[in-house]
Amino acid sequence: MDKKAENWEPKILAFLCSWCSYAGADLAGVSRLQYPTNIRIIKVPCSGRINPVFIVKALQAGWDGVLVSGCHPGDCHYLSGNYYARRRFAILKRLLEYAGIEQGRVHFAWISAGEGKKFAKTVGEVTEVIEKLGPATRLVKAELGNGKKK
Amino acid sequence: MKTHLWLLFLKMTLKILLGELMKTIKKDKIAKLLDFLADKYELFAPTSKDGLVVSFERIEEGKQAKLRFYNSNEAPKKLFFPQSETLFSYSKGERETVPEPKTEQQRIIFGLKPCDTKSLSLLDKVFDTTDFKDPYYTQKRVNTIIFTLACNRPQSSCFCTALGLGPFLKEGADVFVVDLDDKYLFEPITQKGEDLLKEIPGLEEAAEKDISYSKELADGTEAKITTKIQLDRLKEKLDEIFDESVWDEIHQKCLGCGVCTYLCPTCHCFDIVDEQVNDKGKRIRIWDSCMYPAFTLEASGHNPKPTGKERMRQRIMHKFNYFVETYDEIACVGCGRCLRNCPACMDITKVIEQINNLK
Amino acid sequence: MMDLQTKLREEAKRLLEEKKVDVIIGYEDGSMALRTTPCFVKDPRDVERLVWNALCENNLAKYLIGRTDKAAVIAKGCDVRSIVVLINEKQLEKENIIIIGMPCAGIIDRKKIYAYLGGADVKQANIENGIINVKGDGFEEKLNVHDFLHDSCLACRYRNPVFCDILVGEEIPEVEPKDEYGKIDQLEEKSSKERWQYFNKELSKCVRCYACRQACPLCYCKTCFVDQSFPTWFGKSTDISDTFSFHLVRALHMTGRCVDCGACVRACPNNIDLRMLTKKIEKDIKELFDSEAGLSIGENTPLASFSEDDPQDFIG
Repeated sequence: MDKKAENWEPKILAFLCSWCSYAGADLAGVSRLQYPTNIRIIKVPCSGRINPVFIVKALQAGWDGVLVSGCHPGDCHYLSGNYYARRRFAILKRLLEYAGIEQGRVHFAWISAGEGKKFAKTVGEVTEVIEKLGPATRLVKAELGNGKKK
Repeated sequence: MKTHLWLLFLKMTLKILLGELMKTIKKDKIAKLLDFLADKYELFAPTSKDGLVVSFERIEEGKQAKLRFYNSNEAPKKLFFPQSETLFSYSKGERETVPEPKTEQQRIIFGLKPCDTKSLSLLDKVFDTTDFKDPYYTQKRVNTIIFTLACNRPQSSCFCTALGLGPFLKEGADVFVVDLDDKYLFEPITQKGEDLLKEIPGLEEAAEKDISYSKELADGTEAKITTKIQLDRLKEKLDEIFDESVWDEIHQKCLGCGVCTYLCPTCHCFDIVDEQVNDKGKRIRIWDSCMYPAFTLEASGHNPKPTGKERMRQRIMHKFNYFVETYDEIACVGCGRCLRNCPACMDITKVIEQINNLK
Repeated sequence: MMDLQTKLREEAKRLLEEKKVDVIIGYEDGSMALRTTPCFVKDPRDVERLVWNALCENNLAKYLIGRTDKAAVIAKGCDVRSIVVLINEKQLEKENIIIIGMPCAGIIDRKKIYAYLGGADVKQANIENGIINVKGDGFEEKLNVHDFLHDSCLACRYRNPVFCDILVGEEIPEVEPKDEYGKIDQLEEKSSKERWQYFNKELSKCVRCYACRQACPLCYCKTCFVDQSFPTWFGKSTDISDTFSFHLVRALHMTGRCVDCGACVRACPNNIDLRMLTKKIEKDIKELFDSEAGLSIGENTPLASFSEDDPQDFIG
């Protein structure tokens, strides 16, 4: 899909850990905070559950952006899941950008259960960045996902 | 019908013997000849981006061809049997039909070596039989004219003569081309080849000395290939030693990487995968390799070829026994690609030697 | 002063005669010029087959995995480190292995020699005192071994085995690598789009043979992610998106485990420079976590450990 297509809206996949970030998203909801609706959420038990393959596959499937969020370091429900995740994401982000995936396609955040406002703000920022980048074309598999053609 | 073909064959042989049909062209005019062919056909020729690694690619201009080369890195089988080929697409909700494979364009492959040309005849035995014709393969075969380029530079890793083939083997060619240093000699082998040669402008009649020089080159080149394999009773020997412990030794250094099978011009195993997202999908044929652990892995989890030993044995047996059993020919053309590219330097000629020396 | 090859054969003979091991995994002359090939010596009378020279390129650690016998393996600096990682990941039992460590000043990349000779067919080659003599039809040249080393050797920091049971010869001085991250740094200077184009071009050569994976001693998964079908992560055809993803994920799986032995690059039939991915990750783990693969037994790989102070400036 062309960026010039008037009705293009970014589609952003979010992996949220159920104990902190997902709860934070819930809080944003009950607090009636406004944030862009471009986001689709997958709940995972812990940010440490996230296999970098999920993110690579999401980019392949045509998602315009990926947001990964977990508990603040030290607050992980499983004690150390997010510590491992932090290392993984550091490597993954650098490798993806080095390999030519545009900076700004993949985002990471620490959002706690009480940070409804932070959640809304983060989603807003991420959506804005990705809107500027335009539709994802790199790594997107032809004829796969979102009806996009290469 | 048969008589007609025989008469045609006799006529052509006579003409060739009388040198009537053979043509030559000066080397500095070959690029133009290729330009002419590229205009009317999809022309494939050996090319090289870095001057070292050669690969058969489609060219638009004659000067892109690199006609002085050892051999291409990848086998030209990919032009008939690609690594990935979409067989058909389907869509849920529509009545599923298998679409006819699209008609392939008329193609010319210029510069195929005799070993690779022979490999196509071997692949034909699998993909183009009386009972079954693989439409994807046969369409390409029928629409391709092959200019085989005699090999006057065999590498130290070549061993086509050891298999009863040779650097000047004409089998499978439509036109046989010989590099005579300052010119190329063209000899039509099939009617297709003869008809095509008539179309090409600027060809000269071959002189007697051209033809005799070509013969001289043939003898001289064959002598350069020194690797020998004992083929006598090899098939029977392999039948006898299937359960022997020699296979434990043979496979040891093999990494199961599959490079030999991918680069081999006669290897043809494939897998079929369906890729579907939501309600649209396609079925793709991709190369497979008997060297992979999952090659014979069954849905139950059982694997009749569980270790490298069974898989290496499978490879050797297939090439030198099973294929001989079914098709009366050895499924190897001595191109040497497996030798050159094996990361562990497995040498199939040495394996055969080891087997021959048993008992 | 006995040369290393003779010393090596002596050690091998002793190990076999004393029945300390069932097999010596080493190198012997290959059937073609410029090649050696892995060999498995069981009889002490066969130790003369073993060679040691600048053509001994294979990472023999691969052959240790899954063995049920006792084996001695000849290992260069990089090979030893991959054995250390395998031991740390519980894939090898140390008591079943004897590591014969070889200090190594670098291994010849024969493709560089072919390139230098314009693609000529080398029929004979022998090495003496750091000079390799190559001969073919109509040519003979003496080349300096050090001008034709593998790229992974040019980046090497651990020429001596970090760990071994028997050290053959004396340790050689460690040197600053001739070219550690040069190509990586250069690529990082380019724009995102240029990097994307570079990798697309390079990886479009891939025919999905998985030789890189098979040659790597650290790829030992019973079912590789790319062979999984429930779920199918990535397709197996040569679709560039699938191919790109395969290489990205394989490099990620090598994080902190890859010792840059170069086996993957040597195995690739299409000369894809896979090190452009793995070396980048190696650079990052050094910078981010001060970590290098395979330096000591008992050490955890960087992704299997963490520090409370790990960098997180990239996290919002």
